[in-house]
Amino acid sequence: MKPPIGRGAAQRAVAPVHVVGAASTRFLPEHDAMLDELVFEAVYKALRECGLRKQDLGLSVLASMDVLDGRSISSGLTNSAAGGYLGDSFRVEGDAGLAIVCAAQAIASGDVEVAVAVGVYNPERSGGAATRRAFVEQVSNLGFEPHFDRPIAMTANASYALQAGYGLVDRTVADYATLAADEISRGGGLERSLRRFAATQDDVLASVPIAWPLHELMLPAYSTGAVAIVLASPARAGRCLGRDARLTGLGHATGGYTWPGEWLTDPGATSRRAARMALAQAAVSPDQIELAEISAPTPALHRPYVDALGVGGETTINASGGLRSNFPGLANGALRLLEVVDLLSVRPRGTTAVSHSVDTETGIVSEDVTLLVAEAI
Amino acid sequence: MAYRAAVAGVGLTEATSPRKQTRSTIELCQQAVQATLAHSGASPDSIDAIVTGNIDGFEGTVLGAKHVTRLLGIGADLPVTIVNTGGTTGGNLMQVAARMVRSGTHRRVLVLGGPTFFGSTDLQSAINTNSPMIIEQPLGMGGYHMGAFAASAYQERYGLTADDLAAVAVADHAKASRNPFAHLRYEMTPEEVLAGRPLSSPLTQPMVCPISTSAVAMLVADPEDVADLATTPALIKAMGMSADPYLGGGKGDFSRMQNLANLARRVYALADIRDPLGEFDAVEIFAPYAHMQPMQLEALGFAPPGGGIDLIRSGATDAGGTLPTNMSGGPKCTNAGVAGELAPYAYAALQVMGDAPASIQIPGARRSLGHGTGGSFFQFENLAIFESLARSN
Amino acid sequence: MTTTANTETAAPTQAVHWDLHYDIHLGETWSQFMEGLRQKKILATGCSSCVRVFVPPQAYCESCFEPTDGWRELPHEGTLEVFTVAWHGFTGGPQAPYAIGAIRLDGASTLLMHWVVGVDFTPGADVREQLPFGTRVRAVWAEERTGQILDIAHFEPVG
Ligand SMILES: [Zn+2]
Repeated sequence: MKPPIGRGAAQRAVAPVHVVGAASTRFLPEHDAMLDELVFEAVYKALRECGLRKQDLGLSVLASMDVLDGRSISSGLTNSAAGGYLGDSFRVEGDAGLAIVCAAQAIASGDVEVAVAVGVYNPERSGGAATRRAFVEQVSNLGFEPHFDRPIAMTANASYALQAGYGLVDRTVADYATLAADEISRGGGLERSLRRFAATQDDVLASVPIAWPLHELMLPAYSTGAVAIVLASPARAGRCLGRDARLTGLGHATGGYTWPGEWLTDPGATSRRAARMALAQAAVSPDQIELAEISAPTPALHRPYVDALGVGGETTINASGGLRSNFPGLANGALRLLEVVDLLSVRPRGTTAVSHSVDTETGIVSEDVTLLVAEAI
Repeated sequence: MAYRAAVAGVGLTEATSPRKQTRSTIELCQQAVQATLAHSGASPDSIDAIVTGNIDGFEGTVLGAKHVTRLLGIGADLPVTIVNTGGTTGGNLMQVAARMVRSGTHRRVLVLGGPTFFGSTDLQSAINTNSPMIIEQPLGMGGYHMGAFAASAYQERYGLTADDLAAVAVADHAKASRNPFAHLRYEMTPEEVLAGRPLSSPLTQPMVCPISTSAVAMLVADPEDVADLATTPALIKAMGMSADPYLGGGKGDFSRMQNLANLARRVYALADIRDPLGEFDAVEIFAPYAHMQPMQLEALGFAPPGGGIDLIRSGATDAGGTLPTNMSGGPKCTNAGVAGELAPYAYAALQVMGDAPASIQIPGARRSLGHGTGGSFFQFENLAIFESLARSN
Repeated sequence: MTTTANTETAAPTQAVHWDLHYDIHLGETWSQFMEGLRQKKILATGCSSCVRVFVPPQAYCESCFEPTDGWRELPHEGTLEVFTVAWHGFTGGPQAPYAIGAIRLDGASTLLMHWVVGVDFTPGADVREQLPFGTRVRAVWAEERTGQILDIAHFEPVG
């Protein structure tokens, strides 16, 4: 008998895909580099790490956005730097997590043996942090519906603030501050953190108010740079050097627009759908997940996301300090997986981890979520 | 644990100029999606993802799919993948969707190409923003200026005449006049084409595509999973993409389409094509400017270098010829951006499904070729081969 | 962004204007190229894995996928391989007609795109008659140079 067709249908089996290379540029508040120089550096390092060459690539998938990159079809500039010259390549406008999913699908299809996914983020606007933040918010505003939402200045931060305010029913602003301070302090001593200090609840509450009830130190630690992930089929991975972890679940979900209101009443719903999809492919239950990198743009979203993934007591969450320590914009999905495979490399075979990422272009509205299930080999 | 992918439904809207268009972007997209569902017989809740394209510098929105795809009537929270590779976005959408189905992560994916050029007041000015910033962008190149480089170099090398360019445009208009979904549905004489306003030497306005508004959608599904569908699916037998360097100056030789020729060899090998001219029943190529069609026919192995125009003039590329090419009238007569780039795949699939509009259907077509190209100086190329798939159930 | 209602065309529209300011990061490679132009030098990078020489310079060779190494100065002369005459420009662009050419500087593997002069712009004239493809051309420098591509004013036929 055929399985049922439609959204209730059982998840099909998906062939596993190996992570054999992962590398990044340095993470800086602003890079003085052409976008393609950043992409080339990350991809070049990631290929070197696993002993592969550009000529081994069957597909390059890039994540970036024209309107941040200051040029239409900006992937024209960055495509060769991603290894796409005379090869299969395309660009998604979204988070690097989605680029990883697309690259992994090509390998799981049996079409490609080696693929690279790379995210790059260095908004083409100079000036201080405030200028750059205002620019990113301006771009975010253009991402909203043009006739109703743009005129009232909806932006990503406005949506996050609305959700954080709505969430104050069973939590307090102090709770948000405590969580932010914990994450900043946890990442404070780590190489990849942009906030190299310990913070207290008071520090967070004393930081610049962004939009009630959010303060600057509750928001992600914006950085710039590029992160590349090299993927290979199980057979090809066997002949690679360097790191090896296995992706067994590829989850992707997109939330509704402002109208249904789910982004306020159930902000974890999109992450929950991505997790259900990925965990079904991996045939893993949430209680088997030992490590998780979760991308909560505000402390108010941390608990809804954790609950959506079903991870709990025994899981190590955001050992990196999460987004409060480093958030390289559209490259985030690849950074979270890089953090996960770094952690898995010193864990016993079979250890299961998840890498969760979101795009922030329109904040929690129409939120795009990817969830990758990774396993130590 | 890998699967096959096929086009199981196609939806096209009628096309017109931005000025005459009374529907909004959202309404055009809705119409194309509804037409796809009606054609395939798929119920909205059987679709589990959307792949679409946005080209933000051209559209009045940033990632417009974030709200547009929520209003299509097929579910307000379907996963959306937004692809942007300029003029190859349309073809790449289907390739991304096919990989989703082939990997098993998804079963049915809706591919949507919207009216990208709707709303930009000077399109060439918008296209100039994809000209390499700092280095080439200040020189003042829009789309047809970039295209004219290849036209000039090809003319110089192979002796293509202005009359030859006019003949291509005339043939495209004759084909478009038979396609109910084409934008410029009138015939032209060679004299009219040659007398058109000079745009960028050697191209005149009638040798260059119009700015159209329309939407195109298709359903990509596992061909083993079509018990509830009404169509004969078009199996996606082989596909691929290829890219040139960024700078216009990196192309090396404007008189030959080497990037496309490389890709064609690769994709033909995947589908075991040995004699390109004899093995395709229908071809839809993305040739918005008149010189591109003969050059592409050569790169695709249908004619020797410099021989593309002879193939066209011989009648081989007309209905009833050995290689019916662009029965839709092609992008020379209808070009709505991402919708226009998806159109060659849509028409090529429709031909082998047997469901093209009767006036342009090639009887008994079994195998077809779809092509896309775009980006600054047509940096990117893509190809897909479709085969008619007899229903097993 | 400003929005105004437009009721003059048959289809109702709203005018939407984007006001985005960018500061494009030049990076090391193009910064050096632009500084060279200011000093009337055309600088190229080379790949030592192959023998390609890139102008405008690239930080990496797309074919070998290796960083380029070694700067070199190229002569200001080369061959005009192809050009087009823009009879019709676009909003914010240069005043038409103008001729954009692809020039292979001596010693370069790539083509440099730039304006060329010496074309007969008389309507109806064969634009290639006065300036055939293959003509030797040289860079003419702008009086005021500020480190941008138009520090080369244009290329003109040699002799
Ligand atoms: Zn090289």
